[in-house]
Amino acid sequence: MALMPKRVKHRKSQRGRIKGEASRGNRVVFGEFGLQTVQGGWISAATIEAGRIAAQQYLRTEGRLYIRIFPHKSVTSIPLETRMGKGKGEPDYWAAVVRPGTVLYEISGVSEEAARMCFTRLAHKMPVKVRFLRRRPI
Amino acid sequence: MAEVLTVKIREHAGKHHSRRLRNSGSIPVVLYGHGKENVCLSTPAEQLDAVIRHGSRLIDLTGAVSESAFIREVQWDTWGTHVLHVDFTRISADEKVEVQLLVELRGEAPGVKEGGVVEHLIHEVQIECPAAAVSEKLEVNINSLKLGDSITVADLKLPEGASVHGDPTAVVVHCVEPVEAPEEEAAEAAPTEPEVIGAKEKEEEGTKEQ
Repeated sequence: MALMPKRVKHRKSQRGRIKGEASRGNRVVFGEFGLQTVQGGWISAATIEAGRIAAQQYLRTEGRLYIRIFPHKSVTSIPLETRMGKGKGEPDYWAAVVRPGTVLYEISGVSEEAARMCFTRLAHKMPVKVRFLRRRPI
Repeated sequence: MAEVLTVKIREHAGKHHSRRLRNSGSIPVVLYGHGKENVCLSTPAEQLDAVIRHGSRLIDLTGAVSESAFIREVQWDTWGTHVLHVDFTRISADEKVEVQLLVELRGEAPGVKEGGVVEHLIHEVQIECPAAAVSEKLEVNINSLKLGDSITVADLKLPEGASVHGDPTAVVVHCVEPVEAPEEEAAEAAPTEPEVIGAKEKEEEGTKEQ
């Protein structure tokens, strides 16, 4: 099942805009290595899940994967071949809004080589450019 | 031996001046502690980067101020590549400090060959130790970690005179049998849309009015 909130205040949300860089959620906290976005954007629940599966297939039972983002935003769309007007469309999917610098995934319990390999596979699924990140000592 | 940093007095505070300072190749720092007044300082970025790269926390300040200092906090930019600001506290070498140290695993666990998985549960531990003995990280050797074995906080090799804050029985790393992820429930049972807060009450009110 795709990720989405259990309860919401409103079914539909405005688009909004992504300003600046991530001032929180921008460092590795749970694991030893992380995958950080270089661009801002919307990452759909299906994409987050696709990334998780890609990483899990590489890791098998080894190591542990942490997902650091959650799709809080509902994205609406109108059906094809519909005339303009008649109000806002219906919720289509859920997305996580990420600023440049947000850590998307983290891995622990594997070597750096394995983590790099795993994130390379995962990065193919992402709609944004990403970079590899290590935990900082201080 | 403590590393040496050259510092200058910073006359202007605030983000505008701090940005100018960073663009000119210096990093704004602050020195406080021991009941004395705070001093706003700046230090060359190259020197500070070298100190942080070497992993030393105890610093000898020279130049505008000649004191021993301890790196209390480092602020990084979003990408974790540039230091934005550093907090120093005044310290004497035999004084005890509370620091959070990174726990790093070394070696290969024989339990992995037996079909186990090494799980690193605690990445940072808080310790109290003499400032001169603070190391960059705590290294844990897992060369003897067999399947079912665990290393606790009490087993960690701490610097001389150090004590751990928190539960000493907490497991830092263990080697366990892999657990397969439980299969997800059928999609039919899962709701397709989240519950809207207050929607039910409105519906009930509507039916009452009718």
